[in-house]
Amino acid sequence: MIAGIRPSPARTISVNLLLGAVIIVWLSPMSWLIMTSVDPEASGSFSVPSRISLEHFAVVLSGTSLRQFINSLVIALATAMLTTAVACMAAYPFSRLKIPYKDTLLWSLALLRILPSTAIIIPVFLTGRVLGLLNAGGVVLILTLMNLPFAILLLKNFFDTIPTELEEAAYIEGATLTQNLLHVVFPLSRAGLAVIWFMAFTSAWNEFLFPFVMLRSDQEFPMAVGLYAAFGQYGTTDYGFLTAYSIIYAAPAVLVYFLLKRNLTTGFAGVGVKG
Amino acid sequence: MIATSHVWLRRSAAPLVVGALPAILFIMLFGVYAGWTIAVSFTDLALLGRKAIEPSFVGFDNYVRLVARDGFLGAVWTTTVFTFFSAIVGQCGIGFLLAVILKGGKKRLRGIVEFSLLFGWLAPDVVAAFMWSALASPDGLLNTVILRPLGFERVHLLNLYAMELVVISNIWKGTAWSYLLFSAALDTVSREVVEAAYVDGANAWQRLRYVLVPLLRPQIATNLLLVTIWTYAFFSLIWALTGGGPGRDTEVLSIYMYKQAFEVGKLGYGSAIAIAMMLIVAGLSVLYVRQGKDALR
Repeated sequence: MIAGIRPSPARTISVNLLLGAVIIVWLSPMSWLIMTSVDPEASGSFSVPSRISLEHFAVVLSGTSLRQFINSLVIALATAMLTTAVACMAAYPFSRLKIPYKDTLLWSLALLRILPSTAIIIPVFLTGRVLGLLNAGGVVLILTLMNLPFAILLLKNFFDTIPTELEEAAYIEGATLTQNLLHVVFPLSRAGLAVIWFMAFTSAWNEFLFPFVMLRSDQEFPMAVGLYAAFGQYGTTDYGFLTAYSIIYAAPAVLVYFLLKRNLTTGFAGVGVKG
Repeated sequence: MIATSHVWLRRSAAPLVVGALPAILFIMLFGVYAGWTIAVSFTDLALLGRKAIEPSFVGFDNYVRLVARDGFLGAVWTTTVFTFFSAIVGQCGIGFLLAVILKGGKKRLRGIVEFSLLFGWLAPDVVAAFMWSALASPDGLLNTVILRPLGFERVHLLNLYAMELVVISNIWKGTAWSYLLFSAALDTVSREVVEAAYVDGANAWQRLRYVLVPLLRPQIATNLLLVTIWTYAFFSLIWALTGGGPGRDTEVLSIYMYKQAFEVGKLGYGSAIAIAMMLIVAGLSVLYVRQGKDALR
């Protein structure tokens, strides 16, 4: 668009060179990661493997690291489900009912949304210590809490765009509230639900600070803390193990994104416009 | 108190409110926690020892300490430098330029660039930190492929250029977000406007500066706000990459706060740091929101 309606050849070449550089800078860490993970004699240096083996992956998928993979999965799935369910049930009435001080509520949600985790981590730690919630359950609850303001705001915006005539028609046909929600409202807001689920899943999958502060044993760690604890642990870094671990840790986040991509583009457009 | 104009909801207000209760409780708890941090910041509560059980009220002592000792102010400066270069210049700048260049470009090239950016964004923070620390190690990719062939000695990049590396890795990590957002925003600009500027003789820089940037100013302001807020409180990538070191070179506010609260054990002082962080971010937000509003007038 900006490169001009009829760009000169010199400009086309320089733009392509620039884009080529961007691609190389962005992809070289990834190619290093993959090459090292399949190299049985992996060292930190950049070398093309002489033979390819999956032995590092086999090591990661056993023992403590497998346990940490499952911990991450449980935490992320539980957070995503809980966030989506709780946000749905709150965002629908928020969108349809006339609630006093609605604007104030919206603004306070927006404010909470920008609150960094460091702002509440100390009381979270203190209550967790007293209530015995310094475990995976406590982490799920706190991550849901962190995700909710944004989830409710986004979902409310989505419900607002669904024409109410459809629900009215369903009501006249005799649909109950539950049927209306399950068969009219939720299917129409698939894109919004996908964005919230994805955001909650990846942020929980990615989360480092809360599990780092709240969990103590490597059997309880999710992969984020597990990977952090593992690098530099044995004096010399075991690059084969760590790269394979990283790939297995990164894979679900990438996979979920591409599975939901179609829905997400609509959702992101909504984020951009509504802020 | 709660009313609705929708017929089908008239009799269901009660179940709807009950359904919303869990969310209301969560949100209230969020507010309570925030208030609790403020309360703790006025005490000398400690992680362990006698002060953990019976903390005493110390007034503004913790806040005075923020200004009186240099640790906090140093961290503010480090965070500001980190945020400015990695988020504003790096993520927003590069993301915007790429979005503009790739709009209307070849589909396949665009696909490849998008995929590469996305990988950085989707890779978890700790993976990004591990990758960049390995790349920067004395026998890592940066040394063996770039510096050695150019005739430089092997160097421990993480010791010598910690801040630069942290900034670069955060640009690598976060540019995709700004790119996606600006790319979606550019779709709303009609082609005719840009073409009209072209016909009137505006060059590429002028079209960017006087047509696209003013048109997209609200979206740019929103994104700058979001990215600044996130980056100002960013913890995991820097912590896993450098731990705030060497020395205090990359000790941003979140790391300073973590160390004071959970390593030194001064929960009261840590809370004061967290509150100060929030106030700084709030101040920046007001600034950006004003900018965005001016543009709408």
